[in-house]
Amino acid sequence: MDQNDSNHAIFLNIADFIIQIKTDTEFTPEPGYELFLTDDKQTTDFVVNCKAGIPADIFAGKKPVFEAENEQQKFYDIYRHNEGLGFVIYNQQQRNTIQQIALLDKEFRNWTIYASDIAEFNPLRYPMGPIIMHYMTIKTNSVMMHASCAFDGQRGRMFSGFSGVGKSTMSRIWAEAGNTIINDDRLIIRELENKFFVYNTPMYYKDIPKKAPLNAVYLIHHSPENKIQKLKGALAASRTMAFCIQNNYDQNFVAERLDFFVRLAAAVDIYDLGFVPNASVIEFIKAHE
Amino acid sequence: MNTENLSKLKSRFVSREVDKELILVPLTGNIAKMNEMFTLNETAKLIWENMDKVANEEALTILITDEFEVSHEIASADVSAFIRHLETML
Repeated sequence: MDQNDSNHAIFLNIADFIIQIKTDTEFTPEPGYELFLTDDKQTTDFVVNCKAGIPADIFAGKKPVFEAENEQQKFYDIYRHNEGLGFVIYNQQQRNTIQQIALLDKEFRNWTIYASDIAEFNPLRYPMGPIIMHYMTIKTNSVMMHASCAFDGQRGRMFSGFSGVGKSTMSRIWAEAGNTIINDDRLIIRELENKFFVYNTPMYYKDIPKKAPLNAVYLIHHSPENKIQKLKGALAASRTMAFCIQNNYDQNFVAERLDFFVRLAAAVDIYDLGFVPNASVIEFIKAHE
Repeated sequence: MNTENLSKLKSRFVSREVDKELILVPLTGNIAKMNEMFTLNETAKLIWENMDKVANEEALTILITDEFEVSHEIASADVSAFIRHLETML
């Protein structure tokens, strides 16, 4: 990548990764990113270089390896490009309208993002921001999770599951009991020197960067009574991995993720937890630790 | 399904063994199925480990009847159900 093309740069610290975003014109990130801005420019882990103008036919004749699309929304397509990846990012208000083209080098360290209207350019505009964060976690012993996490100053307890299982409810219960909520929806887990840590990521609202040790994972669901079962081995790893944000088109990504969750399951207690949505679940959990 | 198709099907998954249990994760090109994975019981593990080494599903059935006290009919149904389940995960 040409390091000298862009005139302005900001630096973000997300999950203790330093990301440099370089643009030709001054750029102010969305409010959710503001408190993740940093002056630490010493060790840049990832570089995002932003360009005006969407290159034509860059993926002509190629078939995407992954299509992120459902009945309601088309989010992005992924292509193999040179030795890295290419992304077509779609506008979330106008289906099939290309918002950005993004190229990622083979080391997954350098992004080049092209947009048609540089005057209104926001390189982190959804879904580009979460995609950058997700691909930060590949090749770095990290994962991005659908999860909430409560930290009491000693223990970090993560609650995972898809929408509607009670992640936000659980966060509210623990917050009312004086815990710090790392986030109630999306987290990054990093493995650092054989220990696991949980970080929040920028959301659509302002929040400060937070970090906690990860001591236990609870795979939650509503239940008429509080009940808990400790999971081990393959079941613990596979059930936790099910709530990880993943693009499973590449054998190496999947193998790396699987190995991560096998190590996590060996180091951190993982439970299936049926819970009643009130404060009784706190004492119930502590009694089973 | 013959050996070529069984091998091709197997290559569309990534597996890991943990404490003698296997986790299978399908390689997929869309978000709809990207969170599907499963762990295998003893019978399914034997089918998985041998599905790219035998001629066809019938040979897998015979492997099951040789290894476990189960009728040919039940073993055949188990093999068929497992293979069809793998296909639905892709």
